[in-house]
Amino acid sequence: MKPRVTFGTAMLLMAAAAIMAFLPMILGGQWIKILTSAVCFSIAAAGAGFMYARLGMVSLAQVGLMGVGGWVVLRLNHGFDWPFEINLAIAAAVTTVFGWVLALPALRMRGLYLALITLMAASGLEIVFSTFRFPNGGEGFWGVLPSVAAPFRRPLLAQSDADYLRYVIGMLVLGFAVIEWHRQSAPGRAWAMIRRSEAAAMSSGVSVVYYKAWAFGLSGLLAGTAGGLLAGALGLLDPATFRASESIMLFALAVVGGARFWLGAVLAGVLYRVLPGLFNNWGWDADLTLVFFGAALLHALMTAPDGIAGQIHGLLRGRGGQKS
Amino acid sequence: MRRQIQSGIAALAFLALPGMAMAAGEAKVSCGTANGKAATGKPIKVGGIHGNAAPGDFSSSTDAAAAYFACVNASGGIHGRPVQYMVENDQWNPELAGQAASKLVQDEKVIALVGNGSFVEMSVNAPFYAKQNVMAMASACAVSECFESSNIVSTNQGPLASSIGAAMYAVETQKAKHVSCIGLAIPSVGNWSCGAVEKYMASKGLKGSSVLLNPGAPDVNAGLLEAVASGADAILVNLPAGLAIAFLRAAQEQDLRDKYQWTSSTPLYDESVPKALGKYWDGKMFINAELTPLDGKGADNQHWRSVMNAYAKAKSPRDTFSQSGYLSAKYFTQTLRAMDPAKLDDRAAVTAAIKKIAGYRSDLTCGPYYVGDSKQHMPNHAGTMVVVKDGAFKVVRSCYEYEGPYFQPLMVTEKSLKLR
Amino acid sequence: MKSKQATFILAMGLACTLVAWGKPLAVIGLFVVSGMAVGSLYALGGVGLVVLYRTTGVLNFASGAMGAAGVMLAWQLGQWGWYEPMTWVAGLALATGLSLFYGRLIAPHLAARDTVVKAVATLGFALIVLGATSFVWDDDVRSFTLPSDQMAIRLLGLRVTVTRLIVFLTTVALVIGIWVYLEHTRMGLQMRALANDRHISSLIGVRILKVETIAWGMAGFIAGFTGLMFGDLVRLEPNIITFVVIPSIAAAICGRLDSLGMVLIGGLFIGVLESLLTLSPWLKSVRTVAPFVVAIAMLVLLQSGNRLLFGRDE
Repeated sequence: MKPRVTFGTAMLLMAAAAIMAFLPMILGGQWIKILTSAVCFSIAAAGAGFMYARLGMVSLAQVGLMGVGGWVVLRLNHGFDWPFEINLAIAAAVTTVFGWVLALPALRMRGLYLALITLMAASGLEIVFSTFRFPNGGEGFWGVLPSVAAPFRRPLLAQSDADYLRYVIGMLVLGFAVIEWHRQSAPGRAWAMIRRSEAAAMSSGVSVVYYKAWAFGLSGLLAGTAGGLLAGALGLLDPATFRASESIMLFALAVVGGARFWLGAVLAGVLYRVLPGLFNNWGWDADLTLVFFGAALLHALMTAPDGIAGQIHGLLRGRGGQKS
Repeated sequence: MRRQIQSGIAALAFLALPGMAMAAGEAKVSCGTANGKAATGKPIKVGGIHGNAAPGDFSSSTDAAAAYFACVNASGGIHGRPVQYMVENDQWNPELAGQAASKLVQDEKVIALVGNGSFVEMSVNAPFYAKQNVMAMASACAVSECFESSNIVSTNQGPLASSIGAAMYAVETQKAKHVSCIGLAIPSVGNWSCGAVEKYMASKGLKGSSVLLNPGAPDVNAGLLEAVASGADAILVNLPAGLAIAFLRAAQEQDLRDKYQWTSSTPLYDESVPKALGKYWDGKMFINAELTPLDGKGADNQHWRSVMNAYAKAKSPRDTFSQSGYLSAKYFTQTLRAMDPAKLDDRAAVTAAIKKIAGYRSDLTCGPYYVGDSKQHMPNHAGTMVVVKDGAFKVVRSCYEYEGPYFQPLMVTEKSLKLR
Repeated sequence: MKSKQATFILAMGLACTLVAWGKPLAVIGLFVVSGMAVGSLYALGGVGLVVLYRTTGVLNFASGAMGAAGVMLAWQLGQWGWYEPMTWVAGLALATGLSLFYGRLIAPHLAARDTVVKAVATLGFALIVLGATSFVWDDDVRSFTLPSDQMAIRLLGLRVTVTRLIVFLTTVALVIGIWVYLEHTRMGLQMRALANDRHISSLIGVRILKVETIAWGMAGFIAGFTGLMFGDLVRLEPNIITFVVIPSIAAAICGRLDSLGMVLIGGLFIGVLESLLTLSPWLKSVRTVAPFVVAIAMLVLLQSGNRLLFGRDE
């Protein structure tokens, strides 16, 4: 079935093109870095969001999996001489497999257990990262030495910060495209059926475990990619970024932004990275962002299950009667 | 009656001349040429990054530097120009630290960073500072990158120097034969500093071992038992204050106070600590202080207090990081005042001038401050030992210099700068 | 299920023996008792979680945050000179109050959603409570003590304070007491019915509001007590206390979110394993991973041999 290009998709592509072209030119160094980081987390949020929206599967380890992807990219960069794209691809693959290994036990049980197993995994990863840190050019498997900072090779197309932002935005659009392709072909239809009724899906011959695993694998792939891109943004990673509480926050914001829509993932990244920066500039206490996010999550779950993006879509749909 | 009228007129006179009174008050705290004129002219842009979010607040160093710069501006500025001090909070988030550095160095084009106090900022930004050829005169450092990179130099000692100071006290005064160093399981903090303690003990022909704790772990008991099982006779606590208190509570639970000699590196030197420790540790807990004790009578220490009282918020803590923030700002101002006024906006010239610093002294630190063009900077490597007594601290050994294999390269540099 | 429980206990016993192999008995004794002390903290947290889950169907991620708020209030009132037992009452009251607030005002809106959503909503509440607590009490070094810290007994060479004994005994008492309550009283039966299906329960005459109030109140009280204990025995930092809920969830998983006895046993084993790993030179740096590895292993064990369990038909 040929993929349909909807109004929403066209909007997305035009917006992305415009942003890629013009935004880095008008922003200063700090905001380029903030947006690069926000876009990386948007990719990960898209992975967590689509899984929750299409299948009701909750992953509370998305940022932890980003850490895995980032770790692989850093280790390969310092250990070998391969170009960035190859490192990124390997990192995404490794993260996918890692995610599968984690999630498979829980896929045959109630949804709550997947949330719990990913929470346990996120906590375990937090400890592993904080004990063994991220590779910075040292030797050995872990590749860490104090006070070393070996250089990081960015993609050839994207050496400067502004170009890297464009590169990352491009990867975001690619990620959305992959999710959309899935949605419109066999896996998407299987997911929709599983969401309706697992019993009906099974009796129609759809293997529930297989398609759930596929969804989790895709989510892991996006997380690994996001982590690798984040590593490229700073050239190094710090364990404080990948605490279990961060995975929880990212999932919460994916729901608040709107798990079903690409705009929701973008909003999640913006809320996650831009809002704390703004609060900081306005002199508000960092703890108040926690209160704000928690309240937003409760509100989203209770009254606006489609999140902010859903409400925006509802507004637009109300006006023009356009379907998205 | 007449006396009342006289005092009434005096009071009115006092109230009616607030300007004079304020000016008199500000002139009492002067940070430069005491002509009482505020600085005018093009601002000199200086940056500062601190970390303030759970689990800790390192902002007192930038608060103190800000107070000092406000005082400088009120006292005529630097070559008549005011200092525009821009502070960013990295919220213990490495990405925010990178973004803050970008904003200050690339967007605002600061000529230097002063008063940095953070757990994550230095490790993230050290290569960036080197690439941008900007110096960071930091004040509250806890990671190895702060002391082992080319463009960061701090007025505080950090965990390595402070732990070796405590170990020296354990060996020389407490006659310890085997010191167990309790540190954080972070390579650039605990492994780095406790590793150096082990090397120091080995250089003395004695034994040293490390117990590394995970910062977020709820259970410190196992670490305590590990130290007990190692056969040590002295325990050196090298942990942030909250975790150190938890560790000592666990030791108190096991009633181990009299079985070991107890020392600690500098995080426990804080006014709220004796109360949190309680009477059990009175007279038994010896802590290394990286700067002069907070109630010291030296000129700079008094000046620090008066600058803080005049220009800082009342709730800003007057702790060791505040002292070191003041000191970094003071040395920075001193350096700039010695420079050619035309070159003040040239970052490369400022960096070169800072690197040439050799031999600034203050009663806040035990030794001279210097920078130099090298990959390692630790000018502050001599300190004081205090003991917890009666809800406060008492000095037991003042200004002594630390020994050990780690400091050999520094001695060589100091000899070449003619500082010893 | 009984065979899976036996497998779990055997596996944990084997793991602990392997780790401790070859070390002197006195040293092992020290670490085992220390591990049981920590493990009973995890078990206490886990029991609180499972009690609420069995009575309302909600897995409350915010129990740590509620407890943290309670203990911070107790500390603050102690600083202001209040009579000590009154500070504990105040702390417990705050935690219970927060729990009732959530249970009566927020949880009913989500009653029709599935378990995961209800659990994720408590995450939101946890963030709010944690943010508020951190905002009110800024980062500083604090210490919370209880009179029972002064008294202690010696067990296998380790000095165990009465506070730790209280934790262990309370957990055991809760396990027994809640079991009796849920299985053998009318209110317990109504709670289990409510947790199973709220709509049908209301149709057959279960007084929803009354039962929910009691369930959330009970859970809040336990959370407050847990918070006081954590504040005394772990660290008085809201962030740390809030996220100790995660190893408590590991203990709860060992009980399959159902059997309180297994939660206790699981929690103790987790504590002991984590403590014994200090003796292993390669694994001691990551020994705090033990609760999570055990939980994941338990989940793998639980689902082996299962047919697929269906989610609720929408």
